[in-house]
Amino acid sequence: MAVAALPDTLIDELVAICGEAHVFTGRSALFNRARVPSPFPAHRWEEFIPQAVVLPTSAEQISEVVKLANRERVPVVPRAGATGLTDGAVPLRHGILVDVKLMNKILEIDVEDRTVTVQPGINMLKLSQELQPLGFIYPDNPASYPCSLVGGRIGTSGWSLIGGRYGHTRDLVISFEIVLPTGEIIRVGDGGGRKVRKSSSGYQLKHLFMGHQGTLGIVTEATLELVKRPEAEFSAFFSYPSYMDAWKATGDFARCGAATLAGVVLFDEWKVAYLRRDDEAYIPQPDSVKAVIAVAMYGNDDEVRASAKRILRIGKGSGGSYLGDEISQGDWASRHDRYATPQHGRTRDGQVALMSWHCEDASILYSQLPAVREKWHAIAADLRERFDMFDDWGMFAYTNGAFKSWGDYLTEIDIGIWEMKWDDESWAAWVDAKREIARIAIEHGGSISACHGSCREGEVDLVPLELGGGFDVMKKIKRTLDPNNIMNPGKYLLDQAYEEGEE
Amino acid sequence: MEERTRSDEATNGNPAEELVEEWRNAAYNCFSSGHKFCREVCPVMQVTRDERHTPTAFHANVVAMDKGHLTIEDVAEDYVHCTMCGACELRCPNTLFTGDFYRFRQRTVDVVKAMRALAVKEGVHQENWKRWAELTDRWGNEPVLGWNIETSAAKVRAWATGLDIPTGGETVLFADCEAAFYRPSVPRAVALILQGAGIEFGLMSQQWCCGGPMWETGYVDVAHKMAEHNILDWRKTGTKKVICLDPHDYLTIIENYPPLDENFDEFEIVLGVDLVAELIRDGKLELTTPIERTVTYHDPCRLNKRLGKWKSPREILRAIPGLTFVDVDHVTQWSYCSGAGANLAAEKPELTAEISRRRVAQAAALDGVNTLVSACPWSERPLTEQGKEQGIEVFDIFELVAEAAGFEV
Repeated sequence: MAVAALPDTLIDELVAICGEAHVFTGRSALFNRARVPSPFPAHRWEEFIPQAVVLPTSAEQISEVVKLANRERVPVVPRAGATGLTDGAVPLRHGILVDVKLMNKILEIDVEDRTVTVQPGINMLKLSQELQPLGFIYPDNPASYPCSLVGGRIGTSGWSLIGGRYGHTRDLVISFEIVLPTGEIIRVGDGGGRKVRKSSSGYQLKHLFMGHQGTLGIVTEATLELVKRPEAEFSAFFSYPSYMDAWKATGDFARCGAATLAGVVLFDEWKVAYLRRDDEAYIPQPDSVKAVIAVAMYGNDDEVRASAKRILRIGKGSGGSYLGDEISQGDWASRHDRYATPQHGRTRDGQVALMSWHCEDASILYSQLPAVREKWHAIAADLRERFDMFDDWGMFAYTNGAFKSWGDYLTEIDIGIWEMKWDDESWAAWVDAKREIARIAIEHGGSISACHGSCREGEVDLVPLELGGGFDVMKKIKRTLDPNNIMNPGKYLLDQAYEEGEE
Repeated sequence: MEERTRSDEATNGNPAEELVEEWRNAAYNCFSSGHKFCREVCPVMQVTRDERHTPTAFHANVVAMDKGHLTIEDVAEDYVHCTMCGACELRCPNTLFTGDFYRFRQRTVDVVKAMRALAVKEGVHQENWKRWAELTDRWGNEPVLGWNIETSAAKVRAWATGLDIPTGGETVLFADCEAAFYRPSVPRAVALILQGAGIEFGLMSQQWCCGGPMWETGYVDVAHKMAEHNILDWRKTGTKKVICLDPHDYLTIIENYPPLDENFDEFEIVLGVDLVAELIRDGKLELTTPIERTVTYHDPCRLNKRLGKWKSPREILRAIPGLTFVDVDHVTQWSYCSGAGANLAAEKPELTAEISRRRVAQAAALDGVNTLVSACPWSERPLTEQGKEQGIEVFDIFELVAEAAGFEV
């Protein structure tokens, strides 16, 4: 199905706002801004392309584009790194795609009040490279650390691998500037004051505009925490003879009370088996290893040394075997690179097939992890049984709370998908499976998503179930702030806000 | 041969379909991975921030062509935006983590080459590259001095005037087009160093372009003509060993020449910096004249990223008396580039200039550094231009070595 082009007059106006060099309508510009890394029906690519792309360089330009879109009732879709896994940056209703990658400057480094102010198109690794010589880091550290951008982190309310120690995106972003769906430029924080971390003044608007998946505006500037570069890092991997032994130990580690604790990660036997497909991880470990736990700590040297001893004591006391310094340090250091490997995909008869990684990312309570795990693996097994293009790549459970690691867990089941095989039937089965995975998370008192967001096909159907009356408030907010439904329409079932009968 | 036949049948000899057939799996391997870790190390992407110019897009386009969404006309211009530095391949988790296990490497540079060649085959030309290839074909060497200044094979050894270098012989020095015509101080320095170290060598009877930029920009027929001529020339003069002073020539000759000639292994191809490092190490070349400069080294992409060669230049710089060498780790330099590679400057001079400006700024930010040393003549033109703006002098490593050895270049 071909998408109609936008009128030339509208393109001329975009050019007048952003400059000729920053407005694109060519096919490759559109097709290369349709998808994100999550599974994508390439046979239906054309359904997801924008009609025009702009690369603005200022908040004022974005504001003008948004006002124009309101006047012409054309959708606007914000896009930062496009590394998200819930399709936030995918243009479901076509329209004007606002790509913020050119806005990647560091605007201010305030060593005195410990903040760094940036534009939304900067990457965290690049930012930290600039900060390190000054003795600082910006510790928002997702699996996509080398490629995701600050704007997208705010748009998804991202999750950091070391969030237990330093907090997640919402804790690390102090305030930000956002262009509202009607074009006004405002600043939101924890109250007023660009650099104020805690305020009781007014509504907590920072949280409203955190994780909206581009449905409430476009972030144009952010003031972030400037964090002292840690003196020491400690990581330790332990193996266990059974999942339940490892699960009990995970609770012991997470509740140990060390302020240096950045994360505890539990890998189940499916995940260990997946990693054994690689020639570099775990192969030397005997078959008796059924689960692995990774623990990571950061802080001052004296703090980390003391708490590391405690961690080793807990590991030993819980029946774990320390896997040695090489795996402990090497695997932790390579954490960003290992999160998906297409060639590890296997068909039912064990042949290598190039598979995409789909990571379901619910928040699950510690007490519910064993039960959820069994149900999720059963869903993956059923998919694999019916279509020889899905593969169960195992499960992780990461401590989820910022600064308080003991309660719920970012719980992933990673499913490999041989995307060359998509057809409408397998896609529908996949969407059904995603919905069931989400349903189980809710039934066990959890949340559909800890880090990606929950607006993909399938899971999104259950957002009203998860949020209850909160979803009605979401719709009211959406309609109030975006009266013409131009800001990333089609996401989060928010089109319902504009249906007849809605006030 | 059987493979070829099957593929031809499946694609009816359609070049676009052949390309998709050849690269489909590799493209899906990138498409499925979706990491995009390549992006922030890509020198072009760091400047343009345009998703069309990413290695991800370069592979996704193959998938889109396979599904009938895009054609070579839609994407040909996008593929101009690549210096073929190879950073993306190194940063790719598919290569880094499981590449050796599966014997797979994400070969983005080759995908870009294949797309450019397809564009030329389908008549989708980039104007300056086309002209560049035509003039190279006509003159034998690249038009590095401008469209109107002939760089003929008759003039290719003008740089050697007064150095008394014979023609042919067992060993020849291959002077790159850019070096021979635009920066003759580099081949002169190399010749003086080799003579000083007692190495017997000659020059080709008629040196043509190595063909590298023709392969890189899609003019494969011209590239083959150049290569075949050079191989013939070596055979005519009994040459067995070829010393390359330029990383582009070296890489082109060791990568692209062997498939053209089944007896190519009769030739030994030597990289200049490796040879000079060895001469210094073995005491055959003494560096006694102090050079009072604070320098940093620019890892040329073909050496560092494409060939994994970064030790010899550092060894050489540390052997120069008086020199203060502020090193930047070669892995950090994966994201550095001069912007000169793959003839980007002919099509997008402003992009090359901006990449170079950033590279020089990285050098200027280092404590006390006043000089940037490279080992690649192609990089030295844009770096020198930007260096003038930022108070950083740019030298070729051989220029410094010759000075340290007491030669008047």
